[in-house]
Amino acid sequence: MGHIPLKCKQSLEPLPMGGPDFGALGEEAELVEVEPEAKQEILENKDVVVQHVHFDGLGRTKDDIIMYEISDVFKAKNLIDVMRKSHEAREKLLRLGIFRQVEVLIDTCQGDDALPNGLDVTFEVTELRRLTGSYNTMVGNNEGSMVLGLKFPNLFGRAEKVTFQFSYGTKETSYGLSFFKPQPGKFERNFSVNLYKVTGQFPWSSLRETDRGISTEFNFPIWKTSHTLKWEGVWRELGCLARTASFSVREESGHSLKSSLSHAMVIDSRNSSILPRRGALLKINQELAGYTGGDVSFLKEDFEFQLNKQLLWDSVFSASLWGGMLVPIGDKPSSIADRFYLGGPTSVRGFSMYSIGPQSEGDYLGGEAYWAGGLHLYTPLPFRPGRGGFGDLFRTHFFLNAGNLCNLNYGDGPRAHLQKLAEYIRWSYGAGIVLRLGNIARLELNYCFPMGVQSGDRFVFYTNFFSSNWFQRLLHFYLVLSERIAVFNFVYSMPV
Amino acid sequence: MSLVAEAFVTQLAAAEPWPENAALYQQLKEEQILLSDNASSLAVQAFLQMCNLPIRVVCRANAEYMSPSGKVPFIHVGNQVVSELGPIVQFVKAKGHSLSDGLDEVQKAEMKAYMELVNNMLLTAELYLQWCDDVTVEEITHPRYGSPYPWPLNRILSYQKQWEVRRKMKAIGWAGKTLEQVLEDVDQCCQALSQRLGTQPYFFNKQPTELDALVFGHLFTILTTQLTTDELSEKVKNYSNLTAFCRRIEQQYFEGHDKDSATTVAARSAKRSLLR
Repeated sequence: MGHIPLKCKQSLEPLPMGGPDFGALGEEAELVEVEPEAKQEILENKDVVVQHVHFDGLGRTKDDIIMYEISDVFKAKNLIDVMRKSHEAREKLLRLGIFRQVEVLIDTCQGDDALPNGLDVTFEVTELRRLTGSYNTMVGNNEGSMVLGLKFPNLFGRAEKVTFQFSYGTKETSYGLSFFKPQPGKFERNFSVNLYKVTGQFPWSSLRETDRGISTEFNFPIWKTSHTLKWEGVWRELGCLARTASFSVREESGHSLKSSLSHAMVIDSRNSSILPRRGALLKINQELAGYTGGDVSFLKEDFEFQLNKQLLWDSVFSASLWGGMLVPIGDKPSSIADRFYLGGPTSVRGFSMYSIGPQSEGDYLGGEAYWAGGLHLYTPLPFRPGRGGFGDLFRTHFFLNAGNLCNLNYGDGPRAHLQKLAEYIRWSYGAGIVLRLGNIARLELNYCFPMGVQSGDRFVFYTNFFSSNWFQRLLHFYLVLSERIAVFNFVYSMPV
Repeated sequence: MSLVAEAFVTQLAAAEPWPENAALYQQLKEEQILLSDNASSLAVQAFLQMCNLPIRVVCRANAEYMSPSGKVPFIHVGNQVVSELGPIVQFVKAKGHSLSDGLDEVQKAEMKAYMELVNNMLLTAELYLQWCDDVTVEEITHPRYGSPYPWPLNRILSYQKQWEVRRKMKAIGWAGKTLEQVLEDVDQCCQALSQRLGTQPYFFNKQPTELDALVFGHLFTILTTQLTTDELSEKVKNYSNLTAFCRRIEQQYFEGHDKDSATTVAARSAKRSLLR
């Protein structure tokens, strides 16, 4: 009988779709040894039965969670199906986060109980070590810090994970400890408990915030959506960043305790979170604070919507809309730490970071309601330099951003609210170049024209565009992470 | 602040006259404020009354954290924020009001020395009693200090503050003292003040100075705040000229004024036991 070892090392993409004969499959297969008297058979349409699935290399991982991930393999009916299901099982095993690598070996059955069309599938796995550590140094806005990370993957054998991160900086220290446990067999249903202390400095509001908190969250999918239910208890300490902070910000200094329940729903059909080419994203988030303790009471809603469509000549059109509302409950006014902020390279380009809306003596106080939207067109670089290689990472980017941030008088009706949000719209348009950095960040270099600037807003375009020299322009150069947090903000202006 | 910044701020301060809406911030009168903070606040109020500068008292639960130096009281004048009696005296002087201009150099040095005595003895004794005497801490300080905050924040903040004050006591060598020794120190301080005051209406000549405001603030608060024991107020009551001094200043500067100041003096943290 022919002995046909098939070793599938990396991903099987692209799966051989056409090609009935064995030669096409053999792209990644190893050498086929055919004994002289064996017959070459066309295997694709042949019925097979998976008789055994072996696992090599399991240490502390418990059997039951493995069983769930590989149960589908037994249902395969023909060889292509076996390969596909094994590949899927491999992906599932890898996403548990407990194995360093997984190799799949499909072989014919040997032994006494072997059927003539029986197959054995063997998964050779290498478990991650009990403890992994990492050490990084980060340099950010006027601060340097050491970050130490410790991870205990697969703590009790069922893909539980404990991570600890500690950051020691020149100005602040922060830490986080988190415990994560998925449901065996349904990795998307999981819960985690986090303990953290984070500090943040917000120069646009002259505010310094230290949060010490504990949170528990449950994630579960329903059909195509993924939901998160979270309870969070946070001790917040607010302070002034400088002695020159405005009195409105000084009045917010002090301690408060927020205990809130929140629910988030995400539907994401995009092919990537950075520069997606197709698909849509819808995120809806609500948070209710004050009914489980604490002294902060509000209801907060926000949503984000994004639609991407591929057009002719490799260009992509993207439309996005996001907005939110904060309703304080009771007679205490909302806290500066809960309000929304708008402006900057992540929302309305051309305006300084979070520098739109209500402000006092130059400090931005945030607002209780906002909306923002953008229309983007991404095209390949003109004349396509470096095509097929480095040049593909760059895209030309044309954009139109708009938004508004204000405080609503909740006594008025919805008509009055809409009216207030529609007056004094800030908007900007421009063009630039986008560089995609892996799957986490994008680097943008833009040329913007902010419009609809209201008194008090801070924008980055100081000179009158129409009357000055071509050289006296301002360019934005910033790094944007996939969660819309700008990390590095550099503005370069060329004098006449 | 650096000397240059201080000079700059003084210039700014001098430029504007005293506004009508000047405000003094302290903690909540009825439920939250403690003995030492009350004394400091009253001293500043007395000083401003003596200078004839209008001020209204605003009570905020987070006054301690709003203050640029972390201590109450602080005043918000125009767009300047100044905290504690010493800097406030300087600030008011830059605006052209001063109580101690008529004193010569020797008297000024003496005044500073007595103010230091009050701060080092009386204020520290008050802090000791509030934060290091277990009975007082349990029954008065912890409930009051954390009262505006929900559980567990009220306990956390109280313990944090207690730890901070005890550390400071250790640093100045008061941690090893017993309550009796502290009361002895208070007695000695009152004796020194009483001797200096003698039969005069105020400490220096016939005009009040910031020393009078400071002494009034502390002594009046000690006399009118009900603690777990009366020992502290008894020490002050031993000196009749001091109690007469307090009564005199209260009558002159706080009664008969607008309703705000009267309520400030009258509605303090405990029953009035002094003047009746």
